[in-house]
Amino acid sequence: MSNFKKILKNNFWLENPVIVQILGICSTLAVTNNLKNTLIMTIGVTLVTALSNFTISAMRNLIPRKVRMITQVLVISFYVIMVDIVLRAYVPDVSKALGPYVGLIITNCIIMGRAEAFAQGNKPLISFWDGFTAGLGYMFVLVVVAFFRELLGFGTILGFQVVPNSFPKWTVMVMPPSAFFVLASLIWIIRGMQIKKDVSQSSGGEKK
Amino acid sequence: MRFDRDSKFYTVTFTFIVSFVFLIVLSGLNAMTSQQVKKNQELFMVRAVLNAMGIPYENDEEAINVFKSKITVEMKDSYSLFSSEVDGETVYAILFNGSGLWGNISGVLAVDSNVSRIVGIDFISQSETPGLGGRIEESWFKEQFRNEAIVNDKIVVSTAKVSDSKDDGLVDAITGATLTSKSIEKIIATYIPVLKSLLGVN
Repeated sequence: MSNFKKILKNNFWLENPVIVQILGICSTLAVTNNLKNTLIMTIGVTLVTALSNFTISAMRNLIPRKVRMITQVLVISFYVIMVDIVLRAYVPDVSKALGPYVGLIITNCIIMGRAEAFAQGNKPLISFWDGFTAGLGYMFVLVVVAFFRELLGFGTILGFQVVPNSFPKWTVMVMPPSAFFVLASLIWIIRGMQIKKDVSQSSGGEKK
Repeated sequence: MRFDRDSKFYTVTFTFIVSFVFLIVLSGLNAMTSQQVKKNQELFMVRAVLNAMGIPYENDEEAINVFKSKITVEMKDSYSLFSSEVDGETVYAILFNGSGLWGNISGVLAVDSNVSRIVGIDFISQSETPGLGGRIEESWFKEQFRNEAIVNDKIVVSTAKVSDSKDDGLVDAITGATLTSKSIEKIIATYIPVLKSLLGVN
């Protein structure tokens, strides 16, 4: 059981896919100027990562080495298309708002990364958990970035006006480049915290 | 005999079977939902026509009923022309198609009977950047067109701040989505002459 906890901690914080591994940056830049789209997109990524990890892990002993990557991409696109079809049939408004981004989940490096790094060598259940938590780590970062971009760019949170109308809107926050600034600041703050903790832990160890 | 996982035969068979199984599941799912998807698309069209004409409705079911009872559709020169009475005046609407920044933008454009003012505009499908060009779907953008006067057969979507006047033929563009905004301007400028010729107005 502690294994599950360790994976959660690693994927969510210590080895966060976006902050530490700098993966999935493309979608971090693209979809984060609007909190609602970000939430739906990240839920999609989390589900796809978890399920594709599970499937790849379940058939890992059958996959020939030569076509390993192709099979992974096949499984990933299978789930992404499934998400796309379900969205289109049952929540058409959301599917309309996300447009081409659902299809682009396939190219999210985090999914492929987890499949290759974890699911290929571990049992299905724990692989599912690994994919799920990696998705949560991704969601956490994107939601924070989207929160600040929507707040400063539009003055709204989830579409509700939260700052007075007289507040000057930061147009740059709506544009993709601002995600670089917000994300970089976030990486700076979180890495700063992590490194500080590392240093204090290792120096504490020496004293003993 | 144990499988030789690296043999050519196994690799090819494996790839074939796996692709086959996944494809079957996906096409099954697609076939199962295609009816629903088609219904959704029709509903989008119905809602867009009603929104553009400024006819209120409570929910999706009512939208379909209102559409059936109040709106007449006729084909003219391969365009489907919708017409209805709104507040005692005849309003015409047409389906439009045009290219945006990334792909096709389709929707409904409604005008009054002598094509002097836009009654409203609504979009059925678009694949503009979510959060930027995709904001053409937001009501503040669409409401700008409501009752806007048509000047020189077009509405200018201006990147500079414009006044609230409904007589100048000017509306605000979307910040950060100039190209999408300009595409809308172009589409409207293409369809106003079409509407004029369909309705016989000069």
